[in-house]
Amino acid sequence: MDMNENTRFCFHCGEPVPHNCDLKVEAQGQLQPVCCRGCEAVANLICQSGQSRYYQFRTENAIKPVDEDTVIEDAWKRYDERDSLWGSALKNGRYALLLQVEGIRCAACAWLIRSQLEARDGIDQVQVDVATGFVRINWQPVKLRLSQIAAILASIGYRPHLPLAGAESMGRQHERRDALKRLGVAGLGMMQVMMYAVALYAGDAFGISEGSERFLQWISLIVTTPVLLYSGRIFYSSAWRSISHRRIGMDVPVALAISIAFIMSCINFLTGNGHVYFDSVVMFIFFLSLGRYAELVVRHRNLQTGLALARLLPEWAELIRDGQTEKIPATDLRIADQVRVRAGQTFPADGHVISGSTKVDEALLTGESRPVEKHTGDVVIAGSINRTQTVEVEVGKDPDDSTVSVMGRMLLKSQTHRSHYTRLSERYAGWFVGIVLVVACLTALWWLYYDLTMLFPATLAVLVISCPCALSLATPAAIASSSRALLEQGVLLTRGEALEHLGSVDTVVFDKTGTLTSGSPSIVETVINPSRKAYNEEAVLRIAALLEIDSSHPVSKAFAKVRVSRDSVSNIINHDNGVEGRVGDKHYRLGNAAFTQVNVIDVTGGYGRLWLVDETGWIARFDLDDGLRDSAAETIADLRARGLDLIILSGDQPQAVFSVARRTGIETWRAEQTPGMKMDFLKSLQKQGKTVLMVGDGINDAPVLSVANISMTVSGASELANSTADFILTGKSLKYIDYIFKLAHKTHAIIRQNLVWALAYNLLAIPFAAAGLIVPWMAALGMSFSSLLVVLNSGRLAKRKFETQASVPNRLVTQ
Amino acid sequence: MSILYILIPLAVVLLAIGVWALLWAIKNGQFDDLETHGWSVVLDDDQKPPPQVDDVNSEFEEEEK
Repeated sequence: MDMNENTRFCFHCGEPVPHNCDLKVEAQGQLQPVCCRGCEAVANLICQSGQSRYYQFRTENAIKPVDEDTVIEDAWKRYDERDSLWGSALKNGRYALLLQVEGIRCAACAWLIRSQLEARDGIDQVQVDVATGFVRINWQPVKLRLSQIAAILASIGYRPHLPLAGAESMGRQHERRDALKRLGVAGLGMMQVMMYAVALYAGDAFGISEGSERFLQWISLIVTTPVLLYSGRIFYSSAWRSISHRRIGMDVPVALAISIAFIMSCINFLTGNGHVYFDSVVMFIFFLSLGRYAELVVRHRNLQTGLALARLLPEWAELIRDGQTEKIPATDLRIADQVRVRAGQTFPADGHVISGSTKVDEALLTGESRPVEKHTGDVVIAGSINRTQTVEVEVGKDPDDSTVSVMGRMLLKSQTHRSHYTRLSERYAGWFVGIVLVVACLTALWWLYYDLTMLFPATLAVLVISCPCALSLATPAAIASSSRALLEQGVLLTRGEALEHLGSVDTVVFDKTGTLTSGSPSIVETVINPSRKAYNEEAVLRIAALLEIDSSHPVSKAFAKVRVSRDSVSNIINHDNGVEGRVGDKHYRLGNAAFTQVNVIDVTGGYGRLWLVDETGWIARFDLDDGLRDSAAETIADLRARGLDLIILSGDQPQAVFSVARRTGIETWRAEQTPGMKMDFLKSLQKQGKTVLMVGDGINDAPVLSVANISMTVSGASELANSTADFILTGKSLKYIDYIFKLAHKTHAIIRQNLVWALAYNLLAIPFAAAGLIVPWMAALGMSFSSLLVVLNSGRLAKRKFETQASVPNRLVTQ
Repeated sequence: MSILYILIPLAVVLLAIGVWALLWAIKNGQFDDLETHGWSVVLDDDQKPPPQVDDVNSEFEEEEK
């Protein structure tokens, strides 16, 4: 659809409103346009229950409701009696239910969900996690049914799913809470001990009675000990783990420094001479805990991507037992069960067709947008969609072993794997730590010989000041900030090092279907037969849309935007290559040249041409093609301006690929490529010394994406393929690709600044510390300061705002 | 300055209470979601959802069927 200034955007979901759609909702005293009945119903409900402020405060558009949402209550009724699905039992017959909810995008969503659910009798408390899309509901099954909760969520435009990975996500919540507890204890302890330390240092300078000094040291010891035991424990366990693997991890000098500082302080305190360093101990623990916590939050956010997989599979299946059908949760299916899958439904398990034949949309798994024919005996895969006819399927694998589940587990595993970069930086940090330990020993030996009173402070200062924190934070902190900046634009970064490497990319390879194009057919041109003056464009589009009204053929999507009423059409017969039916008092046929018996040589490729004919001859011709994705052409121009080589690789026919190449302005293209050929092509590019960025979608692209140096997937791409890529564009447009390049360059610069600073700091500070010119508290401060500088410098990346055009319509209608 | 011998231990006791309160709060999920509750100030209306929200809901469902 053209985006001109007359285009109106849906008040609810932000998608363009079809020209012939006049649906409106009243919100805050104004009539606002909506794009479909689903959006209308949801927006009306929200406004009528006094929550129209949602639209004012949201920062992201809502998801478009689908038909399935309206029957969700019936579907979820199967769960009502199964108390194992009610969540974990609490006191007084209450349960804590964890749902994964699709469509939560900003804080306003969370508010809307909370106020709708908490108003219900039987729901005590609702927690919404915007970042992960999880909703926790404390509820009483006596007063409310599970299906009602699902229906409430669906009625305000959100899609609930039972989380398949619920236990795991609970585990992560636990991990986060533990880290937060350690951080909090260390922080509170640090504040106290620092206060006493100020008094002690002032006492050193201006004089203090011995009683007061002893007292303050006592108190410091009392506060430091629990902090060390509680918050410092993880440094000991991590140091021990690395030593037991015969490596010197980063936590070894940390554990060493806090132990030495604490033990020496205790000895000095008990013998009553020398300084105590309790302040350095707690400060050190606090700043390290802070860094660890930040790291944990980023890691958890990245893991979330893999969980999206759970949404691919349907929640229930129609089991055939003794000739009767019965709906059961899809996870209960076992091998040799027989299930009925109706047209439009998703296959719940891997298996083979035992009766019937149909066309199956495997786009999620193969990226092929045109449905595949399946007959008795053919294998179907869980997650693919049955398009045309009801079939019966015998389950061949337990749901846990289905292709989708196995891929999901592989992805989760690969994401928890340490990246190449992390391993490298760990090796360097290991070296660095080794050197520091040697320097500390030399310092100790030196002072042992020259001045015993300096032995302990100087050695400790070396250990503390040289903390590899700044060095090890230099890259991850920058990447975490960039990753957040990207997330705000709807781009997920799944492999941090990809951002570093993006700067060296010189070739960009695009897949065609679903990447440069939207993957569904649209009408490029409508030609009316010059001798049939009675028909105009509007009339023929209406007739075609009427004929296609019940068709499930993908081509019918091209006409779906035209709104027509079903009453004016009759006697529709769907054929393989076309449709025929009666509109008004005339009989029409719509289909390809062979079907409509138009005497021309027809073009192939793309989605071809459709002819509309009646008894007397042809009336109109529709040229169909895959519509270009939003702002594809601009993005290509921007990328070319960066001096990148652009190539299209597609499995499609040459004509179709050429058409897209021409429209986007890409000169190099290859058609009829199998995934194997695509991989070979990428490898040959890499042999020529090129660094390749692959932009694609679908599982058939997954192996190709993994060959490329850096990979990117775009929306409409399957969640599965998403998870293997380095970058995932969740927005509808390609324009962020250029932004990612900009950000990558910026990130590179920041990382370099961080590294230079961290190295310079260490090189300068260590000699001073070894010379005994720096006391341990200064060292702890210096260490923290240098880490802080790295974090703040990296934070500059997250501040860079990117003006999005997509958000403009949203603002226009809400203000 | 002997007042310090009372005040500082008192502060330590308060600290212990503070730590206990923090751990309790974290355990009860008070820190799980830092974003949305800030919005409740601007979003929450005096006007509660009307009690007949059930009817609105079921009407909507009937209409869809």
